[in-house]
Amino acid sequence: MKVTIDNLSKKFGDVVGVENLTLHIEDGEFVAFLGPSGCGKTTTLLTLAGIYKPTDGLIRFGERIVNQVQPKDRNIGMVFQSYALYPHMTVFQNIAYPLKLKKVSKSDQHDRVRQVANVMGIGELLDRRPGQLSGGQQQRVALGRALVKEPDVLLFDEPLSNLDARLRLTMRGEIKHLQKDLRITSIYVTHDQVEAMTMADRIAVMSEGHLQAFDSPDELYDRPKTLFVAGFVGNPPMNFVDVSVAASNGRFFAETESLRLEVVKERGEPPASHAGPVVMGIRPEDIQITNNGAVSGEIFVVEPLGREDLIDVRVGRHSFLLLADTEDRRQAGERVSLAFDMEQAQFFDPATEKSLLWQ
Amino acid sequence: MSARGTLFATGKSKDLDSPASFPMDLIEALRYGVLSILLLLGAAFFFSGIVGPLFALGSVEETVMDVLTRLALLTLPFVAYISGASVARRYTAVDLPRALVLAFTSTVVLFVAIAAGHYVMSFGVFAPRTSLQMTLSQSEDGIRVDAILAQGAAETAGLQVGDVITAIRRDAVDLAAFNKRLSQAAEGDPLRLRFTRGDEEMQETARVVLESDKEISRLLPGLVFALVFTAVIVFLPGHWAPYIALIGLLSPLLVGYFWVIVATFSFRTEGIVPLDGDNNFGGFTLKNWESIFAGNISGLEFNIWPILLTSLAIAIVMTFVVLLVSSMAGYALSRMHFPGRRFFLSFTLILHGFPAITLLIPIFFVLLRLGDIPVFGDLVGFNTVGGIALVMVAFQLPLGVWLMKGFFDNIPWDMERSALIDGASRWRAYWEILLPQIRPGLLALGIFAFIGGWNAYIIPATYSIGSGVSNLPVFLNELIDETAPVDWNQVAAVGLFQLIPIFIFFIFAQEYLLNIYAGGTKGSS
Repeated sequence: MKVTIDNLSKKFGDVVGVENLTLHIEDGEFVAFLGPSGCGKTTTLLTLAGIYKPTDGLIRFGERIVNQVQPKDRNIGMVFQSYALYPHMTVFQNIAYPLKLKKVSKSDQHDRVRQVANVMGIGELLDRRPGQLSGGQQQRVALGRALVKEPDVLLFDEPLSNLDARLRLTMRGEIKHLQKDLRITSIYVTHDQVEAMTMADRIAVMSEGHLQAFDSPDELYDRPKTLFVAGFVGNPPMNFVDVSVAASNGRFFAETESLRLEVVKERGEPPASHAGPVVMGIRPEDIQITNNGAVSGEIFVVEPLGREDLIDVRVGRHSFLLLADTEDRRQAGERVSLAFDMEQAQFFDPATEKSLLWQ
Repeated sequence: MSARGTLFATGKSKDLDSPASFPMDLIEALRYGVLSILLLLGAAFFFSGIVGPLFALGSVEETVMDVLTRLALLTLPFVAYISGASVARRYTAVDLPRALVLAFTSTVVLFVAIAAGHYVMSFGVFAPRTSLQMTLSQSEDGIRVDAILAQGAAETAGLQVGDVITAIRRDAVDLAAFNKRLSQAAEGDPLRLRFTRGDEEMQETARVVLESDKEISRLLPGLVFALVFTAVIVFLPGHWAPYIALIGLLSPLLVGYFWVIVATFSFRTEGIVPLDGDNNFGGFTLKNWESIFAGNISGLEFNIWPILLTSLAIAIVMTFVVLLVSSMAGYALSRMHFPGRRFFLSFTLILHGFPAITLLIPIFFVLLRLGDIPVFGDLVGFNTVGGIALVMVAFQLPLGVWLMKGFFDNIPWDMERSALIDGASRWRAYWEILLPQIRPGLLALGIFAFIGGWNAYIIPATYSIGSGVSNLPVFLNELIDETAPVDWNQVAAVGLFQLIPIFIFFIFAQEYLLNIYAGGTKGSS
């Protein structure tokens, strides 16, 4: 089922939940809404679910405009962060509830619940109550309940944030696999960019009720169109430095009082033609500690992440996060020289926060 | 390491690691004992010496302060023994003889101290007692005078050794009754004694005097009791203490219930002792219950069944309507936004605080007018069960609505959203998903409403004047008003009869409650 959102706005009195959101979600696509708390992603999801009615704009499921359609008539399934299982019903009754409401016959209910439960690996738990299940099992029940009525659209509201790290990883894989199998159009709300990057076909990055970008994970990572997207996508986050880019003899340099870095032509040209200072962004993995780098600095703090060390290097009054091999055993206070991979540098207009490279 | 040691090595563990010497323990025990004595003496002084006079200044009765003072003085020795023995208790498990010796020693010392205090202050066993200054013994004919104090009250009155006292005024007495009368008399009261001297019947009036003999031997029973008490404290398992305290506090209630039950099955009672016509223990009878069903108590004719039905009807209608309206109103207030919501909420709160009695007369007129409406008026007008229930419901609703709103507030929004997305209508989500979550709340409110309706007195009494519509509490009051003399055993029987349905209700409710907690509306996070 195609989902089309046109100029959607949702206001609660004076508080803007989401404003002028336009998204076209293809049939069978897995879309993630990514953004910090309060950015309007859950509001959008609940508006899609029909819990909230849009203040303005149109929502289409396929060709049907669903703005005023009751949630029960939208044929959607939803998985909540809190699972929202019905504590007074058994697992079987929980999963069968949507079917019961659809007036599916008892024997059909039985078959379909069994089928879904087996897919979800909870066939043994059907007689238990939600209170007797672990978090992971509860999440499977919630997913089963959302799937059992074969919805046109599946909605996920941060379904994994209540699980422990290991289980989250497992469930992440399972949900993605299931979605690819069933080809149900899915919308997944999360504030965890790793979840969004790994699971989604396309990510809608939102901030303060506005859509910042809607693109594939790779595109967002390599060609961020706004400063917000560049900073939000990627872990550890991108480093930003205020620089001025100038051309001399066909070569381009990004400069501050303590830095002078040569930029490749195709990346240097647009910021150089921009009047005034720009924001340069460079990802931690694009900075290396070398013996003969162009820039030297002092290690301020070393955070071991296990596979690698996250190192904060101070260069003049700038601070850069970068990743280094744990084998190198870097220590705070050490003086190091850095090499920047300027082919990956991003440039943004500080006033509009738009990228100077990608439009 | 050393820093950590000093940080955490506090507490009582040292006592068992290296037991303190016996004198040290004894000193500790005595310290606690003396401390509690001083504390209670201070309390007694506070009540009698400071608060009491203040109350007296405002010409308020100081009985309460008097009682508190006496309570402090009465519990003083016990608290002292307990505090002393509590030090010994830490050895009960490891070294019992040591614990006992320590406890007994501290008790004896504390006892002596308290007794000395009593001696000096002429208090307690050494308090001056009323006396006729003669020695008596019970004999077959009556109370024989064995010895008499020269110049004493008895001799002054003209009694002699060998006289046999039979009565005070016209009341025949034995030695126990005589002593009771004597102890209740005040100084200077005249007691007119009838006695026989030889074959001669005589009568003399003796005046009661106060005598303080300060005989040390009187202390002996007290000491024995103190030691037994201490032993009990030493051996008492610690986790019993709260129960014992609770039973102590509850005992007035328990005695009350006990009386009600005993009284309904007996001819008459003296205190809680059932007595027959000759003042002997016994006199058990079913007469009190029979006359409830026979419909005639001390000449008052009635039929209990319609009265019972009225009570039941009020209670059931009230429970049903209160639950229905409160839960739906609570849902709306918790989940929906509509103009006037906040005003409605605060207004119901004010209504809840409004004393019902002040509205009795206005509501009386409302009901009168309602009664004029055809058909509807026959259901809820003046002098109808419906009308009474309607008023009772109105008074119960503010509490119910607030209670239910609170319960609905606690159900996560997600659960209701989930139901809506699963395909339920709002009504269905309310009925099938939300209501089951608040079953404990519904049950609690239901019990409130049922008991409120069942025990309702003031409203049924006001709005059912002179009609057949009266419920049990109104009938009970009628019974007390219209029979003379009031047969209290009969009243107790009607009271217990009124309690029976509540008992039954609770037995079932209890099971339901257990079901809720075992089966679990508790659950997902």
